[in-house]
Amino acid sequence: MYLLARNMIRFLVVVLFQILVMDNIMISGYLNPYIYLLFLLLMPFETPRWVQLLSGFLLGLGIDIFEQTPGMHTAATVLVAFIRPYLLNLLSPRDGYEPETFPRIHYYGFLWFVKYTLIIVAIHHFALFYLEVFQLKDFLSTLLRVILSTLLSTSTIVLSQYFVFRK
Amino acid sequence: MRTLLRFIQKYSNLMLFLLLEAIAIALLVQGSTFQRSKLVGLNREISGYLFSRVDGAREYLSLKQVNEQLALENLKLRNRLDQISVLMDSSTVISRFIEPYHYYYVPSRVVQNSVYKQYNYITLDKGKKDGVFRDMGVISDMGLVGIVFESSSNFSTVIPIINRDFRLSVKIKSNNYAGILQWEGTSPLYAILTEIPFHVDIREGDTIVTSGFSAIFPEGILVGEIESFSLEQGNFYDISIRLSTDFQSLYHANIIRNYRQEEQLNLETHQR
Repeated sequence: MYLLARNMIRFLVVVLFQILVMDNIMISGYLNPYIYLLFLLLMPFETPRWVQLLSGFLLGLGIDIFEQTPGMHTAATVLVAFIRPYLLNLLSPRDGYEPETFPRIHYYGFLWFVKYTLIIVAIHHFALFYLEVFQLKDFLSTLLRVILSTLLSTSTIVLSQYFVFRK
Repeated sequence: MRTLLRFIQKYSNLMLFLLLEAIAIALLVQGSTFQRSKLVGLNREISGYLFSRVDGAREYLSLKQVNEQLALENLKLRNRLDQISVLMDSSTVISRFIEPYHYYYVPSRVVQNSVYKQYNYITLDKGKKDGVFRDMGVISDMGLVGIVFESSSNFSTVIPIINRDFRLSVKIKSNNYAGILQWEGTSPLYAILTEIPFHVDIREGDTIVTSGFSAIFPEGILVGEIESFSLEQGNFYDISIRLSTDFQSLYHANIIRNYRQEEQLNLETHQR
């Protein structure tokens, strides 16, 4: 119950922060930081798969509704929610994840967290930007947007670990 | 039966994933239906309220810029007033009384604005309560802004020029040739003008204004000027327009109510 309430508040905070603050500091067409993925990234290891998928869906839908974009955040976020458990398996340390720990810098170190965040964010941004353009005409310029925005989002998310989500 | 159940159990997550993804893609494909839905309409009210609160701070920071814009507009209006008072003296005053005015401007404030997406939208703080409905034109003192896409009771969503769904008939001021204004999604400063045939004489710096064909805008509202053009192939120019409206510093916008829009549209649909 406590966990649920905590997660709902975190959900609200992340969505509001994204639409009220981050959306105002899009630096140019090439740099759009999307940090709302934090919510998904920080979910506990043992979260049931269907809960992850549904929260990804709701998270994306929330952003879509506020940004008045049709479904593309939803599609991209559901995709990474589906991939996340496999990725966590792939990145797991030699003797697995310790119980009672969370996917955070605090537990698994800087390098692990950057790798984890970078892959998730890259997949998400790739899906998102290509769904937004919805054609292959501007393939290269879209790719540049994906790469630059991925770097910015990842560094913002990693930095937030030191300032906001400190243990 | 048991194997079926086991199959479902085994792949339940995959199936849930596919289901959710299918919903998302359906929303994407049915884009405008989603954006016209009740859910988004309700959200327009909520986020409009939220953004107008946050915007207080943003607006304070840009007071100086807004002041300059307003001063400039004042100057322009004063100039026009002088011209009108000259006209009033002459006999045209009679025709002014015979013809009732047919455009009315609703001033509004921008509460939400995006510039760097492919499908940008602007939210204004005037809605149905203020008589703002779908398909009304929106301008600023800098020039053309966009067209009202949907409105709820207190807020309205505008499709600006810098949205890839935007289309409008505009013309070159010097020779009255009309073409279609649209946006390619690359830069919020430029748009493109198509369907100007190759034999038309155009120059860099030519002014582009609204054509007045559409019943949405009055004729002659500033859109921008020709930045560059080329004649790649075929019979039409590729013209790049530098937009006169700076969408990044847009704080005030006027919504145009055309009292004769309905009449004109009725007539036009009868003809078809």
